[in-house]
Amino acid sequence: MSDEVSTIVAPSAAGSGARRRFGQISIEVRRNASSGLRIAAVAIALLVGLGLSAVALVLAGVPADSLADEFIMATLFDPTNFKAVLFQASPLILVGLCAAMAFRVRFWNLGIEGQMIFGGIGATIVSLLKLGPDPARLYLMALAAMICGALWAFIPALLKLRLAVNEIISTLLLNYVAYYGLLHLLYGPWKDQDGFPHSPSFAPSELLPTLSSGMSVSLLIAVAAALLMAYVAGRSRAGIFMRFVSANPSVARALGVPVGGMVLSVVLASGALAALAGFTVVSGQEGRLTQSFFEGYGVSGVLIGFLARNNPIAAAIVAFLMSVLFVAGQNLQVFYSIPSSMVQLIQAVVVMCVAASDFLVVHRIHWIRGTP
Amino acid sequence: MSGFLVTWLANVPQLAVPYALAALGLIISERAGVLNLTAEGLMLVGALASVGTLLTFEVHPLVAMVVGMIAAGLVSLVFAFLVITLRVNQVIAGLVMVFFCQGLTSLLGNLCGWTSKAFTGLAPLPLGPLADLPVLGPILFRQDLVAYLVIPIFLGVAYMLSRSRFGLRLRAVGENPEAADAMGIPISATRFLAVAGGGLLVGLAGAYIAIASVKIWVDDMTAGRGWIAIALVIFARWNPWRALIGALLFGGIQAVIPKLAAAGIMLPQYLVMTTPYLVTLAVMIWGSVRHLHRPSDEPGALGQPYVREERR
Repeated sequence: MSDEVSTIVAPSAAGSGARRRFGQISIEVRRNASSGLRIAAVAIALLVGLGLSAVALVLAGVPADSLADEFIMATLFDPTNFKAVLFQASPLILVGLCAAMAFRVRFWNLGIEGQMIFGGIGATIVSLLKLGPDPARLYLMALAAMICGALWAFIPALLKLRLAVNEIISTLLLNYVAYYGLLHLLYGPWKDQDGFPHSPSFAPSELLPTLSSGMSVSLLIAVAAALLMAYVAGRSRAGIFMRFVSANPSVARALGVPVGGMVLSVVLASGALAALAGFTVVSGQEGRLTQSFFEGYGVSGVLIGFLARNNPIAAAIVAFLMSVLFVAGQNLQVFYSIPSSMVQLIQAVVVMCVAASDFLVVHRIHWIRGTP
Repeated sequence: MSGFLVTWLANVPQLAVPYALAALGLIISERAGVLNLTAEGLMLVGALASVGTLLTFEVHPLVAMVVGMIAAGLVSLVFAFLVITLRVNQVIAGLVMVFFCQGLTSLLGNLCGWTSKAFTGLAPLPLGPLADLPVLGPILFRQDLVAYLVIPIFLGVAYMLSRSRFGLRLRAVGENPEAADAMGIPISATRFLAVAGGGLLVGLAGAYIAIASVKIWVDDMTAGRGWIAIALVIFARWNPWRALIGALLFGGIQAVIPKLAAAGIMLPQYLVMTTPYLVTLAVMIWGSVRHLHRPSDEPGALGQPYVREERR
């Protein structure tokens, strides 16, 4: 059962199938749940979660009859909002991939926000120093971002591998360190001439462009990353190693899998993905390094990775749905002055419902009349 | 120099109390085998509920803090239901609970208009002539009631965990649920009690920050202290007394920072604010190095759901 501790694997594999009776109810552990059942359980959980959220929204002052309008029509069928959904999806896909990859080697990377911050800082260093020729600037910014994010992720990875320091806590603590480091830069050496705590704006050649079709380049980056990760996890040798590590590190080690090196490289890649998300936000959305560009992505990434069961393609899809929720939330904020924390609450409630629905997938519950 | 020391040490208890209470609450839960990452969220619930009660009903601050405790205890039941009854992965459930509580408290604080409203809060106890003693007076006899209550709370919980019948059963559930189940100890009920009881203490820690220490509610005002408390539990190796010492250490470090600035030592403001987190990290590393090749004191079944149907 140690699978339960550090990977997000449904405990279906380990059942003996013995029966137990609580008076009238009997619970049985399923060995294998059908995928149809899984999908049905998730669908029901989503409906319950959205239903609860709808109640909360109505209580907070959104008219009940316009809820569906706001959520479905206004976000998916309005061209401006749909573009916003696609735009917003790219960092979410990247942070979702970041979490999903780390979870595949049993590393709880909760330091997504810190790695994003370092991604933003790396990109801004290149912009401020005007490194490289203009046409190459964006590539250099992305590269610098990924290096900085990977280096920031290197600290908890090394601490875990060498000293067995719990990565859940170390990554979370490092988020705060990164955040205050960012504030130090923005209130100090990198403060803009206008006196506000953000960096000077990036030059036009340092902004992620939008293609003529209206598609943003950040989305292309995110989708490419998702496909690459799907290949790595599903088809490559490294992916097979990752599956060994995830199933049982000590057996993997006995089989000759370089467990430490595997974990380290996946965590570095995970940090680089988070940093790439940071880069797409500062260069694609904000146009400069700001105080709060990373906010809300950390937990969202972890939740996306969890809901996607660590599958990169599923992570991209979940991230897209999460993005619908984000954009709908922004609209609610504008039109009904619903606080932004509502989106956070809805996300949490939906994830709780989906996590709870797993119980129905993994267990079979019978009602028994009378004594059996 | 002695003036500096006295004003510094006089501030330590107030900063150490939330760490001590939250870590103690987490220890109860984790000794029963439930890995509890909810502290940051439950502290916010305790803080908001107590501030809301104080602002709405103008009750005694202690009454408000009790309400905050109860609110956090109730919310921790949601977590208990998720991880004990439904066997949701405890890390994910803990994170979601924190996220949920952050959203909920920020939303309610906003909708009810409790945000950024200052109030008087909990005052220090008047201990008469004792408070005027040189040196010892400000440090030991000018604290508030809850700071003094921490000592009996720790004595009680430490006794409960190490000596009482219930504590023995609670630890058995955390070490080896299969054996405990065979002995007839109700696993789920014991874990529910441990999580809820721990939730009360974590809620009190949050209420203390809001009512006794900062005396205002703002979003996310716990600022990572819940995570520091979790690190403290690991550092203390699930032992209440070591957690208390750790809390005093962290409180001492946090208290010294503003005093340094007041003493005219110029430090970059935002970098200084990273010290509590860096110190926590350093303490964790130190603890890890010291115990690297020794058996861990971690409860045997920490983080694992108990599934009786799978008992072999």
